[in-house]
Amino acid sequence: MPRKDPALPDPDVSVPTGETPAGTCPYCERPFRSEHARDLHVGEQHDPTDHEGERYEAALEQERDDLWFFHAKAVVGLGVTYAATVILYSAVIGGFF
Amino acid sequence: MSRDRGPVGERAVRTAGLAATATLVLGALTGRASAHAGSLGGSVASATVPTWLVVLTGGIVVGGTFLFTTLLTDHEAMRGVNWWRVSLSTPVALRRTVRIAAGAGSVVVLALVVWTGVTGTDDPTRDFAVLFVWAGWWAGYTATTYLVGNTWPLVNPWRALVAVGQRVLDVADRRALGATDRLPGDRAADLPDSWGVWPAVVGLLALVWVEVVSPVGEDPQLLAGVVVAYTLATVAGGLAFGSAWFDRVDPVSRVFAAYGRVAPLQRTDEGLAVRLPATALTEKPLPDRPGEIAFVVALLWVTTYDGLVATPGWETAVEPLVDAGVPALFVYAVVLLAGFGLFVGVYRLAARRIRRAADTYVTARAIERWFAPALLPIAAGYHLAHFLGYFLGLSPALVAVTAAPLSPPLNTAVAVLPGWFGSVKLLCVLGGHVFAIWVAHSLAFELFPGVVAAIRSQYPSVAVMVFYTMTSLWVITQPYGPPPFV
Repeated sequence: MPRKDPALPDPDVSVPTGETPAGTCPYCERPFRSEHARDLHVGEQHDPTDHEGERYEAALEQERDDLWFFHAKAVVGLGVTYAATVILYSAVIGGFF
Repeated sequence: MSRDRGPVGERAVRTAGLAATATLVLGALTGRASAHAGSLGGSVASATVPTWLVVLTGGIVVGGTFLFTTLLTDHEAMRGVNWWRVSLSTPVALRRTVRIAAGAGSVVVLALVVWTGVTGTDDPTRDFAVLFVWAGWWAGYTATTYLVGNTWPLVNPWRALVAVGQRVLDVADRRALGATDRLPGDRAADLPDSWGVWPAVVGLLALVWVEVVSPVGEDPQLLAGVVVAYTLATVAGGLAFGSAWFDRVDPVSRVFAAYGRVAPLQRTDEGLAVRLPATALTEKPLPDRPGEIAFVVALLWVTTYDGLVATPGWETAVEPLVDAGVPALFVYAVVLLAGFGLFVGVYRLAARRIRRAADTYVTARAIERWFAPALLPIAAGYHLAHFLGYFLGLSPALVAVTAAPLSPPLNTAVAVLPGWFGSVKLLCVLGGHVFAIWVAHSLAFELFPGVVAAIRSQYPSVAVMVFYTMTSLWVITQPYGPPPFV
């Protein structure tokens, strides 16, 4: 099911000379720098065949794994930033700096 | 009995025991703390936060907002938020009446501004022209365009004058041709397409330079002269080029159109729609015309420039140049253009880095155009921080003089703002950046497939935004002084 926002146009792409794209969308000819990106694009914006749908699911699975690690780092980052900010403020207001 | 409880029961008992112990400990500590507070005698000393910490906090808030938005990756939920709207359809007849009334009213106000400017007093806080144009219109009205909606096409007096002028010319043409039904073809000449929106960019930079270096902000006669000159130029341009003038050349109309895209009230084909603030930016892309990106960057730069030239640091930096004999006007102009070039350069560089970070074939130029709408909330937040205090301070004088513009009262009051108002200004700048982070996040998801590429693509823009926030906050916290040497 096409999920592309109909109001937004397709942005221009350019492949540097001498390079061949790792993946190309069979429906709209867009080049991608990885098959992973191409599979996600086909699943998101076009009506995938069964085989393409499987590749899309596999790509989503890969994304979920990568995202889990990223989110873990983001949460730790937020926590550390918050704690550091509170400690910094208490040190400054307490006259430490 | 303990044999019957089982593992769940054991856990429940353990939890209860822990809770009881915790309560006892807390109770003991609380008892000690309140005794301690009693001995303080109720005296509280307020601490001031040093400027460097305020600036750093701004950067932390913006960076933290980005980290927080990376936790929101449900594309459908994001679209639900961004696409939410309440439609208000307005009947066509009402629209026409409102348009005519608003146009007529605005022309009357324009005439009043010119008249009170020409016959103005020496004291600018008593003059209707100065107060209305700078406090009422440039500060207050502009704020409504991004807080409520862009009403400028409705209340633009010059547009009304051009419409009247076109009617007059049509009637004259019809008389000249005889009583036939054949009207001349579209009179509007064509602006070259290759110019795109660049005339408005040049116009905006010129307008801000004039506003900064000349006493047009206090001198009623000079203001009236500038308004008359602007009226002649705009009406001539509007009659010659039609609505393309207001779309591509007139900087004022473009500024309000740009700010209007941040507002909740948006114009749709059916009428009006109310949306969440800044969400309209996630849908309408920038048209593919030369200068569109430059105009948005210029709008951002001129709000920074306006604040920068009022800082004590600016005076210290410019003083040796002026003493060495460089004309001050020249210094202001060069910095205006160089700063604009710097902002454009940094934005271009960020777009190239985004292309690399997202590992994509999308051109850097397309990325620039895609993400440019995200800059508009920053400009709006900065404008509000800059001008809210100015507007509120002068509003008693504005109200008093508007009540009797032709014979203003001898003493007009100026409001003094409380000390905590500085925090409001900081919040405005921060708010603008937080909205911008959300818009950029949404736009990245619409551009790049998947989630991880979309998040990675934002690293360069967030880095720029953190740095820019800290610089803006530093400018805002500086004591205000009028631009020196001009």
